[in-house]
Amino acid sequence: MSRLDTTDIQGFVLRGYALPFARYLFLNIDDAQRGRHLIGYVTKHVTTGEHWDAGKPDWTLNIAFTHPGLVHLGLPDTSLLTFPVEFFQGMKARGEILNDTGKNAPNNWDPMWRDGRIDLWLAVNSKTKEMLDGRCADLEELVSKTGGTKIAGTQDAGALRIDGQWSTKEHFGYTDGFGNPDYLGVERDTQPGQGKLMPDGTWAPLATGELLLGYADEAGELPVAPVPHLLANNGTFMVYRKLHENVATFRRYLEEKGQLYKGGKEKLASKFIGRWRDGTPVELSPNAPDTQIVKDKQKNVNFTFGNDLNGTRCPIGAHVRRTNPRDAFGFNGRLVNRRRITRRGLPYGSYVPEDQLVRDEDERGIIFMALNASLFRQFEFVQQQWVEYGNDARTGNDKDILLGNHEERDKYTIQGTADWNNPPFVCGGLPHFVELRGGDYFFLPSMTALRMIAAGTVDPR
Amino acid sequence: MADQSGSVYGLTILSPIKQNPSAEVSHSCAIRKVLAGMPRDERSPFAKVSSTHMARLVVMDDVVFVGMPSCEEHLQSQYLIFETNFDGDLDTYLERMVDEIRDEVNAVWQHCWGFPGTDEVSKFKAYMKNCQVTTTFFFADVNDKTVQDTLLALQSQAAVSEFIERNQDKPPAEVQKQFAEFMQKLGNAPPPVPGRPGMGGPARMETKMVWASTMDGRR
Amino acid sequence: MTNINHKTYAMNAITPMKWWKTWIVRLFFLYLGEVTSAQSDLKQLSFIHFARWVIVKRNQFPHITPEQPKESMRYDYLLFFSNFNGTWNEYIDAFSAVLSDGLNIIWRWSEKFPGSVPVTPFKQYIARCQFDTDYYYTAYPYATTNDVKAAHRVKAALNQLEKETAGKSPEEFAQAYLKFLVAVQCDIGETGRAPVGS
Repeated sequence: MSRLDTTDIQGFVLRGYALPFARYLFLNIDDAQRGRHLIGYVTKHVTTGEHWDAGKPDWTLNIAFTHPGLVHLGLPDTSLLTFPVEFFQGMKARGEILNDTGKNAPNNWDPMWRDGRIDLWLAVNSKTKEMLDGRCADLEELVSKTGGTKIAGTQDAGALRIDGQWSTKEHFGYTDGFGNPDYLGVERDTQPGQGKLMPDGTWAPLATGELLLGYADEAGELPVAPVPHLLANNGTFMVYRKLHENVATFRRYLEEKGQLYKGGKEKLASKFIGRWRDGTPVELSPNAPDTQIVKDKQKNVNFTFGNDLNGTRCPIGAHVRRTNPRDAFGFNGRLVNRRRITRRGLPYGSYVPEDQLVRDEDERGIIFMALNASLFRQFEFVQQQWVEYGNDARTGNDKDILLGNHEERDKYTIQGTADWNNPPFVCGGLPHFVELRGGDYFFLPSMTALRMIAAGTVDPR
Repeated sequence: MADQSGSVYGLTILSPIKQNPSAEVSHSCAIRKVLAGMPRDERSPFAKVSSTHMARLVVMDDVVFVGMPSCEEHLQSQYLIFETNFDGDLDTYLERMVDEIRDEVNAVWQHCWGFPGTDEVSKFKAYMKNCQVTTTFFFADVNDKTVQDTLLALQSQAAVSEFIERNQDKPPAEVQKQFAEFMQKLGNAPPPVPGRPGMGGPARMETKMVWASTMDGRR
Repeated sequence: MTNINHKTYAMNAITPMKWWKTWIVRLFFLYLGEVTSAQSDLKQLSFIHFARWVIVKRNQFPHITPEQPKESMRYDYLLFFSNFNGTWNEYIDAFSAVLSDGLNIIWRWSEKFPGSVPVTPFKQYIARCQFDTDYYYTAYPYATTNDVKAAHRVKAALNQLEKETAGKSPEEFAQAYLKFLVAVQCDIGETGRAPVGS
């Protein structure tokens, strides 16, 4: 296929920046024309996917829109009506499908998400706090100068600082960031295991259309996209979810169950996710973490479940196995290829070491952001069928232990062997480790589309 | 035999529906009205004919016109489709329909051409067999277990899952004792009810641990 | 929605076939019936409880009484009835992804069948040919076919455990119980409400 025009694609889509500080500004657009002026100014500074010849920039800027945001910018009806249905409805309205009910229902969300209407997402990532504050102050000034928009709220996020170092861990202590998919045409440090499984056991990149609109997807079709082509091409959809983590509850649950589980606390933690907290894949090393594997790019994502159908190494309901079953369903993994997502999330809130007091109600968690060409077929499917339900994983109604919106009877079974040092173990009385506090669906347009939106020249066929 | 897979029988019946242009409510609408009011859970008539795994009733208004260059054509009558998957043989099933749900059968099938009613079992059976179309291929994922087998298995499964969790950390003698009590209780449990969402079975013991979010993280 | 009863979806579809093509479909089904390994993919997908295909030849629509008008159709019709788990989209996506050859052999003789790949025209065709269920009953609404199969395995293991440990010491019981746990450890998921149809 022809090479991607990386200068037309927003950088956030093509790479995780790995800059330690981030702030997201959420705007309302009250006046279409002045809103477009703002977009015009901002677009001049948006970070694209172009190659960083001079090394990583000090700061980056990206922009995305909800459907109401596009409405308020005055896009023509034909364009607005050809966006996919789930994007048009927005994440709040899709709550029943996503099982965002009970504790995760919108009435428990942060006021900005519960009551407000978010139109625009501006994301600044930076090397230092000063640069972050500086760039955001510039943006705030721009907003007040252009008028017609206002900042409804902000959200800070950033890498956790643990033992004086930047870490890729999140608050429960798990090392995050493995396993983002490879896509055809997207330049990247490829590791075996990131792509799709081929019949000969090797890994190949996924079709570009699983990430970007305007390209063929894994089913050999073009993903549902708005008209005109120029509005859609090189764009993608993002789901943004603020996931509050009840760290005190998690630590206490792990401690208590860890005393009962024969393998001990760390092994128990590894069985929840399918990776040890240092990142070692349980499938490759079920009995102990292994820094060699974690550091080895040829290994740390390179595993399959075909020889572990009974979950003895990696439990059948473990998080990484639920969200990327690889070959666990047979058929050489073909059922999974259209259900992959690219994650770009970051933790928020300050890290508290394990031996110190921490409270559930403090602001602490993960800003989960995932990119995919089809929210319905990718994120929503994984969330509804694989996280909040378990029929495909053969766990019946039992959900993902950490993310699941648990009900009374839910439990998590860790498969074991006929050995008293490693028996099957059931975790019951599951609390809500994670609670949803807000979010929405966003469209990340290409640079071309941004300029068209800013100039008001979106013209459907 | 194409209608059978293992111990499960796949019956497909197409009953032509009467048409009366002068009636205020057409026969097919009347059938639909009856079906809309029929309960679908354990109060369903098919729960009473308890050898039924799954059953559906569909009013097929017409064939489908898929578009040019295919020819457009239409059926002269609408058909009531009865698709059911049950244990045992056809004669017994039809007899049970007459024995146990004759009112519902009459309410639905009275709108069909040549329906003889349910007063004479042999006539009813002959009518249904007349309306039967042979299944060309029948797939049953589980084809060697009756409805009762499956319901009892599901009941046991739910009970076992709870037993395992509750007795996880107990010493062997205690687990053995609990197991004996458990098997007794399971054996005496009321038989599970077909069609009911949720499990019938031994009452669930309270094992809820409440994790209050205001508790601190001290060990 | 009446097509759905908790975890199971009742799909009905009818497609027209030129009468001289019907025998090919019958032949294929004969093969499928005799060669059970051909059904293995279907069983591995594991989301159908019961499914059937019914060929109604153009002169085989039941004619019960003389008063009933006679049918005079040009096409034969292939009826399809499925009782499956999961959403409509998931079901068709899965079939299109891994069983496209089988689907094609069955349906390519139907008028205007677009092929089971790519998936969108295939879904449009199914939507055209599908007609809704008016009444749907299932004896085990909270159980998928995975749940049913798992339950049978659990029950068998439970009976085995009871038999094996009758009159045994606690230590012997404990050993047998451990083996039992391992035997059922992948089969004790809860059953319950289905995710909302989407």
